[in-house]
Amino acid sequence: MMTSSKPILAISAIAPIVLLVIMIAFLLGPASSFLQFGVVLPEVSIEKIEFVGNEIQATVRNTGPIDVDVVLADVNDRIQPAAIEPDTSLKRFETALVRIPFDWNEGQPYEIGVTINDGTRFAKEVDAAFSALEPNLDLFVFLGMIGFLIGVIPIMIGLLWYPFIKKLGKNTFNFFLAFTMGLLIFLGIDAILESVEISENHLSSIFNGELLIATVVILSFLGLYGMGKQLMKKIELSKLSQGLAISLMIAIGIGFHNLGEGLAVGAAIALGEVALSTFLIIGFATHNTTEGLAIAAPLTKSKAKIMKMIGLGLIAGAPAIFGCWVGGFSFSPFFTLVFLAIGAGAIFQVVLSIFQYMKEKSDLLSNTSLFAGISVGLVIMYLTSVII
Amino acid sequence: MQNTFQSSKMVYALLAIAAVSVLYFVVPGVTIAEETPKTFLTHTGSVIKTTGEVIDPIGYDGEALDFDPDTFMKEFDYGEVSVLKDGTILREFYITARDDQIMEISPGVFYNVWTFNDSVPGPTIRATEGDLVRIHFTNEGSKPHSLHFHGIHKAEMDGVFESIGTGGKFTYEFYAEPVGLHLYHCHVHPVEEHIAHGLYGAYIVDPKEPREPAEEFVFILNGFDTDFDAENNFYAANTIPFYYQHHPIEINVNQNIRAYVVNILEFDAVNNFHLHGTLFHHYPAGTDTVPSGYNDMLTMSQGDRQIIEFNYKYPGLYMFHAHNTEFSEKGWVSSFLVKENTDDPNTQVEYDDIV
Repeated sequence: MMTSSKPILAISAIAPIVLLVIMIAFLLGPASSFLQFGVVLPEVSIEKIEFVGNEIQATVRNTGPIDVDVVLADVNDRIQPAAIEPDTSLKRFETALVRIPFDWNEGQPYEIGVTINDGTRFAKEVDAAFSALEPNLDLFVFLGMIGFLIGVIPIMIGLLWYPFIKKLGKNTFNFFLAFTMGLLIFLGIDAILESVEISENHLSSIFNGELLIATVVILSFLGLYGMGKQLMKKIELSKLSQGLAISLMIAIGIGFHNLGEGLAVGAAIALGEVALSTFLIIGFATHNTTEGLAIAAPLTKSKAKIMKMIGLGLIAGAPAIFGCWVGGFSFSPFFTLVFLAIGAGAIFQVVLSIFQYMKEKSDLLSNTSLFAGISVGLVIMYLTSVII
Repeated sequence: MQNTFQSSKMVYALLAIAAVSVLYFVVPGVTIAEETPKTFLTHTGSVIKTTGEVIDPIGYDGEALDFDPDTFMKEFDYGEVSVLKDGTILREFYITARDDQIMEISPGVFYNVWTFNDSVPGPTIRATEGDLVRIHFTNEGSKPHSLHFHGIHKAEMDGVFESIGTGGKFTYEFYAEPVGLHLYHCHVHPVEEHIAHGLYGAYIVDPKEPREPAEEFVFILNGFDTDFDAENNFYAANTIPFYYQHHPIEINVNQNIRAYVVNILEFDAVNNFHLHGTLFHHYPAGTDTVPSGYNDMLTMSQGDRQIIEFNYKYPGLYMFHAHNTEFSEKGWVSSFLVKENTDDPNTQVEYDDIV
């Protein structure tokens, strides 16, 4: 019985919200004294520490439930005079830049602390002081090169497997598709773990990093799933091959992933974790070669033009360049985490697409090639991650 | 068609929510920087150019706060004096303990201090050897407190086993003995907590034959653990970190100085005192009339006291501070400004070797 009129429908939609608002108003107003219990503890997070010229600069954020004043700064638990911009008072979520004039030594570890008005001290350690990179053309070119090295070149190398995969029989081909799925599953898990690490080390607890990751992964998965469906519908109407569509989706998914990785690498360079970033670069390059393979595999059942393949490689790899730039010039743990999570969701969506593609193409899905492929893919990714 | 329409609306709504929440978290307050940066000279001598504020523990001027180190160091409480029938001098003191006060112990840092007579340290009690000291103690705090005096007295006047509850009163009475620089503090368990919050003060027993005239100062070496991790966040001579560094104590060349140095620092086993530009004679606990050494360093454990006597040969600005530099970098750093003052009768300047 759909007899209810539109106004009643609107009221029934709004009524719960209105009641909720009234309840909140009641709790904040007349009932607020009733709810005053427990001790409210202030919290300040030091989000970023940079070594600029003869200064140590710390970005602090009020991540607690109450407003605070930052009244002292210290280096290695020794009080140092400092400037704070814009001012000492920090409202909830507000940030300020603490600039401590300090003749720091390169490569030496430092602990930077701030003390707030109630005498509580919050500190963060830096493993090795490293001169903050100056944003200039050289750095721009350097970061771009790094992004090119970890993103574009390995994927192009991976795409060179195309002629080899093309000559394979059906089962072997299925094996390679499944192998790709294994690689991608590993990459997805890897991205989630990495974003959890960033959340633990760099992101204030107030952001609920883990929940943010879960939310973004699922949203990205659902979003790309919907996009993929639309893409498939369009492809059915056009003359584009389904293989190319799958490859395109893999490329987009990997592109998001590489954006996140680019951010992480750019940040590692900017934060002066130099040795780490050399390894990161070798690691990513090796990993990303397999990403090229993943893009190439679905293409083999259709005619692929060289330019199209290069285009796919760029879609997947070029975001790494962009990521390096952004990560290197202004590292934001929040956005790095978000893009890594988007990449993870995208990758899981791609895994699902490949699976469905295989199910459609093979009348009887070869379980052996599927499981063998996924397992070998996972193991190879694990081994490359251990060795490097 | 309607389905697609609605789902795209949903997507837009989701995107809008995401964008707003990201903006809220990541860019909470858009602030417009001032155009002209100001230049500040900090207490370490480095220069900061900033459009913001300077956080440097020098702004303490003693006016806005409850405690003035300049007054405290020269203030001696001799009590209400009367003479008993047998000729003994009676000195009566009134000391009230509280534990609810918040004090700005360093510019911008507010800490719950526990006080004797609304002050950390408590008043410097001063008597002459043989005087009868009577202390009317009232506990207006929310916790039990007591007064434990160092020195020679009866067990029931020791203030250890009889803690005074909220609203309680107790009268401590003993003869001032022996001569020296002593200490009093609350001795209620946990003693560390009661002392760390500020329940202590100096107790001086002067010899019947007065010491040589001199300009006298009291320096109570103390500290505050403001974040309760059993480590001091701030160190000082007389409570306020860095105070005498920015408000040098003015004395004159050749003026005789006597300082009563008490170490009541909690959490750190050893504190010390280093004087620049001259050396001092020192008297452990002030009980002897013969100095036990001529030095520029005092090394003191918790509760140790020393009387030191010195003068300056040359004018200028001289530091005195903890040679344990961690302490000095957290506030236990002070200075004397030595002036050439020929008008001062206490000064007999000899211009023999200064060119």
